[in-house]
Amino acid sequence: MNEITLTRKNSRLFRELNTVVTVMAREITVFFKSPGTVIMSLAMPLMMMGMIGGNLMQNMAGGLGFEFGEFMLVGMLVNMLFMITTMGMSSLVDDHDIDFNQEMLVSPVSRYSLVTGKILGAGFAAVMGMVGTLIVGLVMGITLPVGKLLLILALSPLMCLSGGALAMIIIGLIKSKRTANLAMMFITMPQMFLSGAIIPINNSSGALLVLNRLMPMTYCLDLVRSVVYAGSPEYESLVMFNPVVNFAVIAVLTIVCLMIGTYFFARTEKNR
Amino acid sequence: MSMIEVNNLVKRYKRAKAPSVADVSFSVGDGEFFAFLGPNGAGKTTTISILITTLSKTSGEVRIAGYDVEKDARHVREKIGVIFQNPSLDPQLTAEENIRFHACLYGMYGYRPTFGLMPAAYRKRVLELAEIVGIQDALFRPIKKLSGGMQRKLEIIRSLAHTPDVLFLDEPTQGLDAVSRRSLWEYINKVRDQYGTTVFLTTHYIDEAEGVDKVCLINHGKIAACSSPEEMKKSLLRQELILDSEDKTALARELSALGLPFTVNGQHVVVPYQGSAQSVIARLRTKLTVLRIHEPTLEDAYVEFLNTTGREAA
Repeated sequence: MNEITLTRKNSRLFRELNTVVTVMAREITVFFKSPGTVIMSLAMPLMMMGMIGGNLMQNMAGGLGFEFGEFMLVGMLVNMLFMITTMGMSSLVDDHDIDFNQEMLVSPVSRYSLVTGKILGAGFAAVMGMVGTLIVGLVMGITLPVGKLLLILALSPLMCLSGGALAMIIIGLIKSKRTANLAMMFITMPQMFLSGAIIPINNSSGALLVLNRLMPMTYCLDLVRSVVYAGSPEYESLVMFNPVVNFAVIAVLTIVCLMIGTYFFARTEKNR
Repeated sequence: MSMIEVNNLVKRYKRAKAPSVADVSFSVGDGEFFAFLGPNGAGKTTTISILITTLSKTSGEVRIAGYDVEKDARHVREKIGVIFQNPSLDPQLTAEENIRFHACLYGMYGYRPTFGLMPAAYRKRVLELAEIVGIQDALFRPIKKLSGGMQRKLEIIRSLAHTPDVLFLDEPTQGLDAVSRRSLWEYINKVRDQYGTTVFLTTHYIDEAEGVDKVCLINHGKIAACSSPEEMKKSLLRQELILDSEDKTALARELSALGLPFTVNGQHVVVPYQGSAQSVIARLRTKLTVLRIHEPTLEDAYVEFLNTTGREAA
């Protein structure tokens, strides 16, 4: 085994980055080996964008003062990243059931690297969902300029990290697949309706205003819309905050959620 | 030097009436083969879980290779390899993908998406190890298509891939057939001979602990005895001569006259002795029809231990 020992890299940074890549690669490998997950990732946009979005477009889009189709497409893209990443995190419960979490936790790497890799891996399925959403949008005649699409794609890891970190707070405490699935619905559904993904929230007030300000997806959506609507007349009416503020809030919320979620996860596994 | 040092270890689970591990202390030397024996619920898995840093302790001190399991958990994890009680492989990956995942997590190689793209040293080593444990044909098959024995062998390859100083085996042969058990132990012994790896074993199979350097018996969370298997057999059990004669009455009379204690057990007369059996046999004049020397096994000692500590064998 000496030859293997000789190849061992000692840089801490290398090992942590390698861990993130390795865990992420495992998630992607498993994704492609599960035809059901692939089909669901691509079918979900059909339901979200095609059915919910199409219905809203036909019945509620009049007199808004902006192009609802484009507004909704952006909302659905971010929602898809959030929703699929969040749901993907429930696989941690599967890993717990097959004792694979123990194999990961006994390795000499940071728990944050393990969780970050897991989130980014789940984010890959989310990006597939995003692609599906774009295809459905194209069929519905809603498109975005390629440059702006690339910018959204560049922001997608941040969205996935934000959604996955939020999911970790709950997943870190749950050990039942059934409860995990319900909890994920509990996280994703309110965000879809209250953070402005498909319904504008500029005029929200009272408890709903407090709720949408507490949701990380509100800031993710606002950041993406600030990119999409930059320089357009709709910018003032559709974008709520300065992009720098959005970015800062997302970063802070992600780090806080990641720290709390990882702590819960490691603690729950250690006190099983 | 002690590779494992446990002092006054206590683990009390939330809402539990009694601690699962109560004031346990023992040490395992460098290169030693150590076994932890006890019935279900005795505290074996709780202890091993604390040693491998996956469970927090309530109090006490645990050091592995000189590192504290809580303060220097990362260093401890570098030094150990673990085979868990239940298989911990990803059933959706292939055997090789599971090994690659482990090797990359331990920082031995940068991750590459396929076996062919991994460094030559990795490929050579994986093929070599697979051949030793006889799973070369199954290397690229999904885990869910491998037998229990093959999965266990794969876990051994995986746990040894990063050359650990201490190998923890938590009932590694549970559910394996006799042939798989034997070949698995052959491989583990080979590794011990070659690399001097310290082995910490918990098992239900008493025969697996016969060849260890040191064995500790644990029950109700407490260590009842800790010594070499030979010493343990001597301290817990006595050697016996099993005799029979056509004239049992004469044999009994002679034994009494010689001052040798004996019992009649069914057809046979059982004579406990210490030291040499020859010295007893040479003094007997009655013609014997049966003469057997009963050497106690570790299993006998274990059963005796359970009888005296009041818990059924697992």
